[in-house]
Amino acid sequence: MLGEMLDGYTRSLLIFAGINAIAAYSFYAPYKTGQVSLGQAGFMAVGAYASAVLTHKFGIPFAAAVVFGGILSGVIGVVVGFPALRIKGIYLLLLTLGFSEIISVIALSWDYIGGAQGFRGIPFNQYTLDYVVGIIVVLILLFARIERSSLGRAMDSIHQDETAAEVMGIDVVRIKLFAFGLGAVIAGVAGALYAHQATYIDSSTFNIMVSVEILMFVVVGGGSTYWGPVFGAAVLNAIPEVLRSLRDWLEIVPVAWTNFYPMNRIYDSLHDFLDFENAKRLIAFGLILILMMIFRPDGLLTRDSLHRLRFWHRKARHA
Amino acid sequence: MREAVTSNICLTIEGLTKRFGGFYALNDLNMEVAQGHIHALIGPNGAGKTTFFNLLTGVLSADSGKIIFDGEALDDVRPSKRTLRGIARTFQNIRLFPHLTVIESVMIGEHCRAYPSVWKALSKAVFQPPFCEALEEREMRARAIELLEFLGLADKRDEKASDLPYGEQRKLEMARALATQPKLLLLDEPAAGMNPHETEELDDVITRIRDRGITIILVEHDMRLVMEISDRITVINFGIKIAEGPPDKIQNDPVVIEAYLGEDVQL
Repeated sequence: MLGEMLDGYTRSLLIFAGINAIAAYSFYAPYKTGQVSLGQAGFMAVGAYASAVLTHKFGIPFAAAVVFGGILSGVIGVVVGFPALRIKGIYLLLLTLGFSEIISVIALSWDYIGGAQGFRGIPFNQYTLDYVVGIIVVLILLFARIERSSLGRAMDSIHQDETAAEVMGIDVVRIKLFAFGLGAVIAGVAGALYAHQATYIDSSTFNIMVSVEILMFVVVGGGSTYWGPVFGAAVLNAIPEVLRSLRDWLEIVPVAWTNFYPMNRIYDSLHDFLDFENAKRLIAFGLILILMMIFRPDGLLTRDSLHRLRFWHRKARHA
Repeated sequence: MREAVTSNICLTIEGLTKRFGGFYALNDLNMEVAQGHIHALIGPNGAGKTTFFNLLTGVLSADSGKIIFDGEALDDVRPSKRTLRGIARTFQNIRLFPHLTVIESVMIGEHCRAYPSVWKALSKAVFQPPFCEALEEREMRARAIELLEFLGLADKRDEKASDLPYGEQRKLEMARALATQPKLLLLDEPAAGMNPHETEELDDVITRIRDRGITIILVEHDMRLVMEISDRITVINFGIKIAEGPPDKIQNDPVVIEAYLGEDVQL
């Protein structure tokens, strides 16, 4: 429905950006309790393969397959989450990374789901954009409500000092497990949507770089507010497109200005630079990450900066 | 009226031992804490006082010995469940949540009473009314303000916890612990970092907490405070109990004076 208003390129661009935003929320949920996961791509793979098996091999409707992908991923998330409760920081990174590698090895070696050839012929869903938009809205509402509630405060307290939170009677184990499982459900849904948009997935589709990009969305957007993930995903997905359109604007520079040395060299390298393909994208992401860590370690949006905008919200709280 | 409640035992410690490698932080400690008392635990640095609190709250687990709180053994109970049973504490090295405001910090303490299960907390979060504060949230806020008024922090309620001066951070820790509605409150050096005036206020605050029916175990180095408000004092050194009794007896006990402050010092 929504998609019919857009041309194919814009539509697919928005869908993948939206899936990235959903994936960013899957990182944000456990992160709210201080758990940093580098395995969200693994949960996306679980959701993607599970839903693809259902629609491709059993002809089950798309929506049901997405729900099932999310639930299966969530169940696996809770199982992985149990050992994850005991460990923190760098060790949790390694555990989740290891999980995601295990998933990709399973995908590579299990012939029923395509093995090394990948999973082909996943039915394309033409309404994916509607699903993506709807799910993002639901996620924003969900996390807005959690942030405004006692549960959200409890999650923040765990993030800030786990031992103190536990001693204050916060059920740290259950809340962390819930957050990790919720993140896994969301990642599974993102993966299922991806599979039915790309129509082809293989064991390397959801690799470590995907997890790193998911983390980037939250780091850049801001992990202290529920607007951060969607904002970060929007900004980082828009940058290559903006640069590409800048390149189109280069065309209006008169040829007479650039057909002599050194202007021709400058023009050509600028032209190349603005062509923002994979390798360059990763370099730019690395640079952005470094700059963010130096200048805005809490991300572009923080709860404090949003509070300054939402003066009416403050007033309501004091009434 | 106090005489009537002193016969009830709130906490019994039997043979509590905790080793770190070959070092005995606590060695076969036995003690009883009477309901409604302010029971001070004193001793030189490294005597095992904070370890004792960590064992009581379940942050550390004991090598041997028993903790019986309110008639029930607390062997494998997780810290958060102990808080639900009624043990709350403050930390010697203040552990507030730096990014929460003062009132939010107190509301964290209330969370375990309002929402003992995650699902209840989640459904309350999801189905809260739009554009206004849920009833439960308003009640929690009102109770938090009451507690902050009790400790004289009400006008700082919207400041970040980490922005408060040291002495007020200690008070906030007490407010947060009280918000969990404890039967037993463990205060770990509440007067540290407070000026003499604030310490005198603290006398009053701690006594008023006791008068609410909350039993208090107080670890403190400020002897004036300890002698003034304690009903009973236990002295430990190198993890071993060396004396126990009412303040006037402890004050004149030569063993205590020697162990705690060296010879020839008047407590």
